[in-house]
Amino acid sequence: MHEIAELALDEAVAAGASYADVRGVVAEHESLSVQDQRVEGVARQTSRGVGIRVLVGGSWGFAATARLARQEVLATARLAVQVAEASATAQRQPVRLAPVEAARGTWATPHERDPFDVPLPEKLEMLLAATAAARQVTGLTFAKASADAWRTTTTLVSSEGADLHQTVLQVAGGVECIAVGEREVQIRSFPNSFRGYCGSGGWEDVAALDLAGQAPRHAEEAVALLSAPDLPAGRDTVVIDGNQLALQVHESVGHALELDRILGWEAAYAGTSFVGLDDLGRLRYGSPLVNLTLDTTTPKALGTYGFDDEGVPAGRTPLVVGGVLQSLLTSRETAPRVGADATSNGTMRADSWASIPLIRMTNIHLEPGEGSLEQLLDDTGRGFFLTTNRSWSIDDKRVNFQFGCEAAYEIRGGRLGKLYRNPTYAGRTTEFWGACDAISGPQAWRVYGTPNCGKGQPSQVARVAHGAAPARFRNVTVGVR
Amino acid sequence: MTAPVGREAIERLADAALERAGRSAAGVEVVVQHAAGGLTRFANSQIHQNVATADLSVGVRVVTGDGRVGVAGAHTDDPATVADTVDRALEIARVSPPDPEFPGLAPPAGHAEVPVDDATLGMSPGGRAAVVRGLLDEVPPDFEAAGAFSTDLSELGVFTTAGQRAYSAVTSVQLSAVVTGPSSSGYAEQGGRALTEIDPAAAGRVASAKARAGASPVELGPGSWPVVLEPAATGTLVQFLAYLGFGGRDHLEGRAFTAGRLGERVVDEQVTIADDALARETVGLPFDWEGTPKQRVVLVGEGVAVAVVHDRHTARRSGGASTGHGLPAPNPYGPLPVNPIMAPGDGGSVADLVAGLERGLLVTRLHYTNVVHPLETSITGMTRDGTFLVEDGRVVRAVCNLRFTQSILAALASVDAVSTETAYASELFFGGSRFPAVRLPAFEFTSSTTYG
Repeated sequence: MHEIAELALDEAVAAGASYADVRGVVAEHESLSVQDQRVEGVARQTSRGVGIRVLVGGSWGFAATARLARQEVLATARLAVQVAEASATAQRQPVRLAPVEAARGTWATPHERDPFDVPLPEKLEMLLAATAAARQVTGLTFAKASADAWRTTTTLVSSEGADLHQTVLQVAGGVECIAVGEREVQIRSFPNSFRGYCGSGGWEDVAALDLAGQAPRHAEEAVALLSAPDLPAGRDTVVIDGNQLALQVHESVGHALELDRILGWEAAYAGTSFVGLDDLGRLRYGSPLVNLTLDTTTPKALGTYGFDDEGVPAGRTPLVVGGVLQSLLTSRETAPRVGADATSNGTMRADSWASIPLIRMTNIHLEPGEGSLEQLLDDTGRGFFLTTNRSWSIDDKRVNFQFGCEAAYEIRGGRLGKLYRNPTYAGRTTEFWGACDAISGPQAWRVYGTPNCGKGQPSQVARVAHGAAPARFRNVTVGVR
Repeated sequence: MTAPVGREAIERLADAALERAGRSAAGVEVVVQHAAGGLTRFANSQIHQNVATADLSVGVRVVTGDGRVGVAGAHTDDPATVADTVDRALEIARVSPPDPEFPGLAPPAGHAEVPVDDATLGMSPGGRAAVVRGLLDEVPPDFEAAGAFSTDLSELGVFTTAGQRAYSAVTSVQLSAVVTGPSSSGYAEQGGRALTEIDPAAAGRVASAKARAGASPVELGPGSWPVVLEPAATGTLVQFLAYLGFGGRDHLEGRAFTAGRLGERVVDEQVTIADDALARETVGLPFDWEGTPKQRVVLVGEGVAVAVVHDRHTARRSGGASTGHGLPAPNPYGPLPVNPIMAPGDGGSVADLVAGLERGLLVTRLHYTNVVHPLETSITGMTRDGTFLVEDGRVVRAVCNLRFTQSILAALASVDAVSTETAYASELFFGGSRFPAVRLPAFEFTSSTTYG
């Protein structure tokens, strides 16, 4: 692939590109799905191709192909230049790229056991054992289990001298327990909804989940939810589990702080942001307890890598410190809008060789506070505990949100009590984060993968992650139906 | 310029795979897809992203004599890689347990032909940029435009050892624009199978006029309002209703509201919804990913839930035949109606529907809609790009965006009017089709924002 990438790069420069980068990508995905004792799907997909991004006259062009014969690659490089020339006919402001050191090297996800080398029967046996354990629970209608493995190998070369080779290995696994009743469907997922655990690493991380051991408890909860009351409507104190807060961070912080959205580049599709460049250092995003960090180095997190698709190395950037906005997610093109000397914090990623890199949120964490979940519940006294995302919606400026969860429990006397079904909560971003008055500590802090982050046209799906611990919010609207 | 790979080249790839897999497997299905085209994206009234891509993929599903199934795929036209893909599918099947529910592969069946638009195929990067400039020329200098214009070709071939040999090509075009002013935004969208569906100047004018009309919106509190939903907003309801209620698998498993309710009146008799990939209102292929010809399936006929869609697996479970709604294998989600369209009524234009609204809201478009309760068909989302207060049949002022939380069945239980006019619209999670506008006596808004 390196030879093909170099071929494309030379052709693009020869055709007139003032800047060019070429990604040669080989992406493999294995997905396994079972329902009860039936194997519903076993599939391996391999995608390989080359994506060529060029600047001509300060405008971008991009062309990509899966057909890797020499003439096809050369023609695609020339097409990228033609596309850029067309872009230049509707240009207001030429692109200027923040500097980055032209890096050379390799990076690979640390892991113990390559999931693609694990025998298929072993993986299926684990999933079938999980669904069998769940189906031991009386009243459960279905149990589903799934596992995924992704290996993405990228060769990146640029006209500035970048020459990088990276292999990102990611895994997922989980079980869903589904109870169907009269006009009700209830689901409890372990360890999370939407493909379960999702992280970077090897099969050892999926095997350690003990899906079969955990499935019965979640199956029992799914059945119990069928006869539980709906979470009553009102305003109340809520403690939100880390797995739900992860998506709260995703929707109301991660997307809101993408500088391309702030600049209006996503206005026609997913929208813009309530955040402006003038808000840096000023906007009170949340209470003083709220600290949010972009960290592409977090071990085992789904959004971890060695360098982004512009060759910018992974790193750590505080976004919100003590509740005040300090930084944004940037790229080489957008960083100069923050300041003349600003550089990219390395968030540009494409979901395949066929896509252009966009600012993606990678790993964004809500930093932990203090104490255990039990201490937080004890301190709370009364309220509701909401866990595991079921649905999500937020407006095009990332302000007005509404989430649904799989289950809620009443907090009474500092302990979890009565179970409620179909819980929802809603709010406005800075009001909500401003109402945060307690966050559990490192012992309750986990990283949750989000494998289905959508953005861009044509739509791209990114795998990202968020660390969070259960946290308490006061006077929150709940029970919207 | 986008050049088709063509039936012959696709058949050559498929036949090589069929021949190799057929030596070891009892049944083989080969799916070859070529997707090529360009998308020119603009923001702040300039082109900022511009792509041209060509992808060719081969998917192989094999089944052994004792019902073991394996699926593998690769994005390639390299014969050696295709051979490796076949071998991988065979290896997966060898170590997988038998699937007693495997329904067999698609038998020979003819399918309809769909027209391919040469003008779409001939569109160059320069041509796309010219369309974008044509739209931008209509945007007032104090407004900014963002959007995308795409021209695409998709070729699909499905070949089985049971004898099916289906090939089709389809072209599609889509132009969308959001024009933004100091306190408001407006939206326009066009699309279909051919370039003649695209009028960039008209799109620029519509989105700009909407943005200007939406200036200085006022905040409304939550509450139930009579509404006129423009075609894009109607389309969101229709597409979510189809997704939630009319997939054969969810229906059979009791996870769709249609379970046990086919034949019942579920919405107003003015509502008829069909899934019809061949209709001029939508863009679809004439057969599904299993090679079964697509049928027009009436989902809701004059308010009555009529039928759900099936692939070969759910057809076998239900004792019927596939309606041609299978998705790419392996598919743990079941068949889905991916080309739902709603029949227009006799209500005239959007303006006519507004004229019949004594006091209520005109909603241009819904945003980031998601499911709250699947069996109640309850969804939540936001209005965007133009929400207006109507009094005595006239738009009197713009209002800030509102959040709705609403059962689709409840919203459509009583329909005042369905427009005669239709317009093309797509939704964040679904493809595009033409939809009418509707006037409804009640729609539940649960919270608000401070901007339009």
